[in-house]
Amino acid sequence: MDTTTQIIISGLTLGAMYAISTVSLSLIWGALNVLNMAQGALLTLGGYAAYTASAALGLNAPLAILLTVAAGGLFGVAMYALVVRHMLDREGFEVNVIIATIGIGMVLEAGLQKLYGAYPIRQPLTVEGGFFLGNVYVPYNSVIIVLTSAALMLVLAAVLARTRMGRAIRAISQNRDAARLMGVPVELVYAQVFALAGGLSAASGIMLSTITTLAPTMGYDPMLKAFIICVVAGLGNVMGALYAAFLLGLFESTVQFALGVRFAFISMLVLVIAVLIWRPYGLFGRTRVTKL
Amino acid sequence: MTAPLLQLRDVEAGYGGQRVLRGISFDVPAGQVVTLIGPNGHGKTTLLRCVSGLVRLGAGEILFADEPISGARAHRIVEKGVVHIPQGDLLFTDMSVYDNLMMGAYPKAAYAAAPQRLAEVFSLLPRLQERRSQIVASLSGGERRMLAIGRGLMANGKLLLIDEPSLGLAPLVIDQIYEVIGNLKRHGMAILLVEENASRIIGIADHVHLLDDGKIVWNGTPAEMEENEDILTTYLGG
Ligand SMILES: Nc1ncnc2c1ncn2[C@@H]1O[C@H](COP(=O)(O)OP(=O)(O)OP(=O)(O)O)[C@@H](O)[C@H]1O
Ligand SMILES: [Mg+2]
Repeated sequence: MDTTTQIIISGLTLGAMYAISTVSLSLIWGALNVLNMAQGALLTLGGYAAYTASAALGLNAPLAILLTVAAGGLFGVAMYALVVRHMLDREGFEVNVIIATIGIGMVLEAGLQKLYGAYPIRQPLTVEGGFFLGNVYVPYNSVIIVLTSAALMLVLAAVLARTRMGRAIRAISQNRDAARLMGVPVELVYAQVFALAGGLSAASGIMLSTITTLAPTMGYDPMLKAFIICVVAGLGNVMGALYAAFLLGLFESTVQFALGVRFAFISMLVLVIAVLIWRPYGLFGRTRVTKL
Repeated sequence: MTAPLLQLRDVEAGYGGQRVLRGISFDVPAGQVVTLIGPNGHGKTTLLRCVSGLVRLGAGEILFADEPISGARAHRIVEKGVVHIPQGDLLFTDMSVYDNLMMGAYPKAAYAAAPQRLAEVFSLLPRLQERRSQIVASLSGGERRMLAIGRGLMANGKLLLIDEPSLGLAPLVIDQIYEVIGNLKRHGMAILLVEENASRIIGIADHVHLLDDGKIVWNGTPAEMEENEDILTTYLGG
């Protein structure tokens, strides 16, 4: 019983963190058909930006978080406007964007390492304390992570479902030419998608740094897992990504408890391969039949 | 005498090295239905895509309401009131009927007037109201065509470019679609209509242009077209 509770709590916490990264990747893939390999570095940026805002600038937590999310959004827009935009619609742009965003990620990581050093730093925004559920200790920090992530995902889902911008994002991912014919300024919406993804990633980076520590490479592992989740869910499917993130979070924590931490990643890979054999477009994926 | 709503002047365009349109000139006057007919693959869709800004002109000029629109971005052209209802519908298949219609009202001015437009579209195409929250993927071909037209009407445009509205539909459904188009004409809408089925345009077109191999090879009224045996047999299979 206690083990089950423990597994669920840690699974939900992992899932909550993966969900945001996965959804960010999925948004960008859905709209632009490109992979953002700088996702991990964006998480790291979020962690360090929050650390700087609260420790170095001495801002209170809400302000520090707000500033961090804004910084992430700005970085996303800059990535789009300065690099990605110039590669779209050219021969082989998918691969070019992958390589370019790997480069951006490496530069960002190196910059952060130069500024803050390679040693792990504690995230001052971490919330202390917790409570007992039966015999299981539940840190407040985990509760906050799960609730914040759920709230962010609900807001995002509402934006995508009901707003003019959200509809345009979905329209572009379903049929770009038709979206143009409806009067959607596609390039502007791309920039909005990058802003959303950047802001969300920064928020996710803060959460991540509160349960691990700040380190220049802290984004890698969650990014890899986010890719795995995207593949399982079907790339570009935002809601599917959300479910899959929590499922895989629970799967990972189960494997960690049952077999040990070492097996978590390997078993996730095995799961992906199994899913792809069974459903080549992912659990919630679909074939795309669009274009004139 | 006011200038025609849409004017094409020596329009040339193509894809990569391949030239598809080789100097096209004609007008669409306000309130009229001008039809473009011609064999498959000779550039009718390309011409509409030039007008709506999806394909860049190689040469020539397009004017709408006396302003040049060639070279403008597609979303600016929609904002001016040129609405393209594309061949094959190009609906947003994972969205509901309602969301598709709302996408049609994307331009700011149209978005503000969306509730009234929606009521008008529903009264013109009642079937859409019944299917309002249904996902497009589950609609029939005829319903999809109606949705494509309804979505185009949401933009509150001044000129409709309609590409092969009868494509792939049963004769009875085509009748319904043409009834709707006739209704739009009676309300004074200017329409540039692409149609392969020459008999369909007899009652509705004010003027017909025959596009062959990227050039307008003949133009006249539907009555003149009917008298001209050569055209019917050579280009439209009798
Ligand atoms: N995106 C594209 N890239 C390259 N070539 C294209 C593209 N779209 C159309 N073409 C070519 O341009 C020519 C004209 O095509 P277009 O679609 O304009 O013809 P159409 O008259 O509308 O034909 P249909 O009656 O079959 O709809 C064709 O040879 C076609 O293969
Ligand atoms: Mg065509």
